[in-house]
Amino acid sequence: MLGLFGTLNLAARSLQTQMTGVEVSGQNLANVNTVGYSRQRVLIQTGPDVTTGIGPEGTGANAVAIRQLVNSLLNSQIQGQQSVGGYWNAQQGALQSAQANLNEFLNGTGSSSGTTGAADSTTSSGLSSQLSGLFSAFQSLAASPTSMTARQAVINQAQNLAATFNQVDSQLSTLGVSLNSSVSDDVGSANQLLSDIANLNSEISSAEFNGGAANDLVDAREQDLENLSHLTSIQTSTGTGNSVNVSIGGQTLVSGNQLQNWLQTYDAGNGRLLVEAANGGVPLTLTGGSIQGTIDARDGALATMQSSLNTLASSLITQVNTIHGGGFSLTGSSSANFFNGNSSGTITVNQSLADNPALIQTSGSATATGDNSVALALAQLASAAQAGLNNQTFGDAYTQTVAGFGDALQTANDQVTNQAVVANMLNIQRDSVSGVNIDEEMTNLMGFQRAYEASAQLVTTVDQMLQTVIAMKR
Amino acid sequence: MRVANNSYTDAILSQINLLTARQYSLQNQASTGLRLQSVSDDPAAMQNTLNGLSRRTAQTQYASNIATLQNRASSVYSVMQSLQSLTSRAGEIATLAGNPTASPADLNNYASEMNQLISQATQLMNTKDAASGQYLFGGTNSTQTPYTSTKDANDVIAGVSYQGNSSVNQVEIAPGVTVSVDVPGENTTGVGVHGLITDSQSGADLFNHLLSLRNNLLSGDTAAITATDSVNLQKDENNQLYQISYNGATQTHLNNAATFAAGQSSALDQMISNSSSADLVQTMVQLNQAQTAYQAALQSSAKIMQLSILNFLP
Repeated sequence: MLGLFGTLNLAARSLQTQMTGVEVSGQNLANVNTVGYSRQRVLIQTGPDVTTGIGPEGTGANAVAIRQLVNSLLNSQIQGQQSVGGYWNAQQGALQSAQANLNEFLNGTGSSSGTTGAADSTTSSGLSSQLSGLFSAFQSLAASPTSMTARQAVINQAQNLAATFNQVDSQLSTLGVSLNSSVSDDVGSANQLLSDIANLNSEISSAEFNGGAANDLVDAREQDLENLSHLTSIQTSTGTGNSVNVSIGGQTLVSGNQLQNWLQTYDAGNGRLLVEAANGGVPLTLTGGSIQGTIDARDGALATMQSSLNTLASSLITQVNTIHGGGFSLTGSSSANFFNGNSSGTITVNQSLADNPALIQTSGSATATGDNSVALALAQLASAAQAGLNNQTFGDAYTQTVAGFGDALQTANDQVTNQAVVANMLNIQRDSVSGVNIDEEMTNLMGFQRAYEASAQLVTTVDQMLQTVIAMKR
Repeated sequence: MRVANNSYTDAILSQINLLTARQYSLQNQASTGLRLQSVSDDPAAMQNTLNGLSRRTAQTQYASNIATLQNRASSVYSVMQSLQSLTSRAGEIATLAGNPTASPADLNNYASEMNQLISQATQLMNTKDAASGQYLFGGTNSTQTPYTSTKDANDVIAGVSYQGNSSVNQVEIAPGVTVSVDVPGENTTGVGVHGLITDSQSGADLFNHLLSLRNNLLSGDTAAITATDSVNLQKDENNQLYQISYNGATQTHLNNAATFAAGQSSALDQMISNSSSADLVQTMVQLNQAQTAYQAALQSSAKIMQLSILNFLP
């Protein structure tokens, strides 16, 4: 039998055990709003039995461990979802910026759909209306080829169009530079997280060396892994001493508490930054994450749109100049270009024409200044299929470019929405295992409190019994 | 299923954010009347709308071109009418001069009148278009005076020569459809638009025929007047009647084109509206629903979040 002192010891250990339970419940309550915190539970086991004359007798309860309640599978799924979410969020951000730079929006108060008889006042704000305006100006010029008013209107409209091309190209180029910076910044953040993970592996290993679980450090490492997953998809494996090894693109970057490699950017030769492993310079094929999302937006939809606009501007310059060059101005001059430049970034109106619209070459005859055949040909370019634009008109080629870009952005928007739903669902599932519920913790707290009170009462009782025994010898 | 406190608050925030975004989108549609404003809202509809707007701009320009041509055709018609009256009077003079009762004094009077008619015809053929300030009958050489006259020592018109050409400008009134209302003063090529004064296809040569009649009146050669001048003036008048009829047909074509263009514009307005405009009734109903859901979410969240076991502990 335990005897009085044994029972007193049992009561004292019970007090400690229940106190540990109170502390753990307190820890959970304190971290109810801590992002990434996994609730903990004290593992209480009965003490080893002692052999007595009447059989084995229990020796109370001991707190043997504090365990985290986590689901590794859910954590892994959330890391994967973070990569997907990071990828599409980066795409969405980049393409939304590009949409603003393109400046192709509808304005005005449309008539209510289905209302007949009401004139629609919808207008657009970008290159589409500028292109239409240029060809309308050419039409007016064809109707009145010697009119200086019509000539000046052509110059004004052409200058507006050229300026719009220049502005859109400049802003898209600036956006590309910004996206490069974003890639660099994200790579820096990823490297910091890799370093943190390696350090946490080391700390966890040290903390758990003498037994126990470094639950809070594990939570911090898990949060870093999720943050890293948001930047790029990662592959993890469990190493020695509860460490986590991290690989990216098939390259091992963190092994145990060692940071074996890290990421760096490099220029693949066209001014666009890609990512490689620093040691060895191995280019990495990233899948998922905001880094790859930014790269894909920059090199995909954004590059395609810029290229299409350049092709459109180049084709417009070539076709207009070819027709214009064969005409004669009011002064009889010929062979001058209407546009200068060869791309959307360099297109400008010939300054000599801008300074003197009489030099616009509208006539097909050197002797008949009132002839409009060249002006008419310029106007009819609006409906002419262009071989350099897949046999589309200028307007149709542009709207197709815009629609293609819009599809990419709409896809990104839809994916962001969908991924948010998936993320929310996974987080709810994880929280159902690892999240703190105040009602539950308060109930547990009350249980530990009552048990503590009962153990204290046991101490009091045994103490009284000891006093009784002591009082027997006077 | 176990629900953590964070799950609950995160879900409430997520729902409220969604409802707020929905209200914003619907309010924007209601205030602008537009279902889509940016290309990502509906790429296919945006493409249709932009194409429709381009075609509407083009259609507006075609309507403007048609109006310009109608005005010019009307001006040309006025001149043709005056010219036809003038030619008809010259024909009358030729007939009267061929009458055996016409005296030399009569013939001299007729010759004086012919000088006036020639001068008047020259003036008519040098008419400018009021809108553009360009000569109507010089072909595409529209900045130069079409007809110039030379005078003899007695300040009498000895000859009238043409400075223009036989080409005319075409103007587009619909995709691929061009119309010209211009009439050159002279066309001796045998192809293309007939010349109003001189035309090799019809044999018209009004100024030379008027000068010939005047000269024959002055010389008293009534036989030549009857045999040649009357016949030639008839050719001139026939050519002018042809031109007037052609002008009338062109104006009818333009009127029909204007009506068609107006119809096309209305159809394009409707197409653009169908593609891009919001159905206001539907939008307001949806906005009302979103507001109701938002209010319900806020109220229910406020009520439930107040309760926990802490409310019931002593």
